[in-house]
Amino acid sequence: MKKADILKFYQTYRLFIFPAVVALSSLFLILFVIYPQTAKLISNQEDANALFAKSKILATKAAALKSINPEDVSQKVSYALQSLPADKDYGSTLDLLQQLIAQSGFSIASISFGSSSKVGDTDGFEVKLEVKGVKILLQSLLNNLENSSRLVRINSIDVASSQGTQAIDVSLAVEILYSQLPQSFGAEDAPLPQISQAEDELLAIIARTTTTVTTSETGGVSSPRGKVNPFE
Amino acid sequence: MAKISINLLPPEILAEQIKGSRFYKIQLIGITVILMMVFLLSLTVVLRILQNRSIVMAQVEMDAVLQQVSGLKSTEASLYILKNRLAVISKYLGVSSKQSSMYKLIDELIPSSAALNAVNVDKEGGVVLLLSVFDSDSLDTLITNLSQKESNEDKIDQVSIDSLNRGRDGIYRISLKIKSK
Repeated sequence: MKKADILKFYQTYRLFIFPAVVALSSLFLILFVIYPQTAKLISNQEDANALFAKSKILATKAAALKSINPEDVSQKVSYALQSLPADKDYGSTLDLLQQLIAQSGFSIASISFGSSSKVGDTDGFEVKLEVKGVKILLQSLLNNLENSSRLVRINSIDVASSQGTQAIDVSLAVEILYSQLPQSFGAEDAPLPQISQAEDELLAIIARTTTTVTTSETGGVSSPRGKVNPFE
Repeated sequence: MAKISINLLPPEILAEQIKGSRFYKIQLIGITVILMMVFLLSLTVVLRILQNRSIVMAQVEMDAVLQQVSGLKSTEASLYILKNRLAVISKYLGVSSKQSSMYKLIDELIPSSAALNAVNVDKEGGVVLLLSVFDSDSLDTLITNLSQKESNEDKIDQVSIDSLNRGRDGIYRISLKIKSK
């Protein structure tokens, strides 16, 4: 086909050819460029908003973390871990029980450690205590055990008293609680755990009981512990 | 005087003129549409470039903050541990167990004229009591105290007498089983 023929064809049908070319090219631009770009723009904006929000949360978190005194937190953690340690820690349990029993005016006949069990959402192991004392002091022993620096739950109480005297033989089954440390500490942008007023007060109580125990330990507890060196 | 206009052009040229003016209009509209498309295209491209730049800046900013948070990871871990411990400690510290509170309650309810020979508080909070009571009035008081809601603080569900006997010495020896709520 010659150029003159094409020109003639265009001149004849230009009223249809020109609008068709414009419409087709517009459609092509919309379908393959404008629409994808706009869709990407919208989805990117959502991602950007999420990024800004995450960045804002992280900045707040970093500021909050900077404002915390790490030594103070470590001290509080050590108090909390004395109350609820990560493992059984038989040695300190024995020390504590001996001390509490002696403080309450009872003497120990025997202490035996039992197996571990689940106590609610935490772990524990049973300790059987055979103690001798006077009836009037039993409530104080129970109170001392339940308010001790380490978490103790009383499972069973068995009391036998001699006729006509205040002397009693007590057999107590107590559960000493412990709990493994958490393995995960949440996502990077997870908000920091807040210590409430009630928890602060609880920490103060734990610190007080822990300090009392430490002071008493340094003062020396008059509890039968055997020789320092058993081979002497 | 009215003007008289006479079109002396041949009808073919007239039709050609009308056709030309119609094409001019279409051409104008077409070019406007193309220009609009080009404008929209450049607008989206510019917006994408600006958006990408701001995302990169935000990412850089976030990386810096993340590094700060990572540097304070040990403090964060300590806080998590502290919160985790306190949640458990608050449930148990200073909270009387059922066994302990049952013993305390029973100790309060036993009249002074009764002597406690043995008490057993089991894991469910059930109590077995062995008592020596010196007179029948005290025995009545003891049973009433244990079984009445007002005096037993609504902690006792059931009181059953396992055995009751009176010795030659006039002392009542009683064995009680108490079921806690």
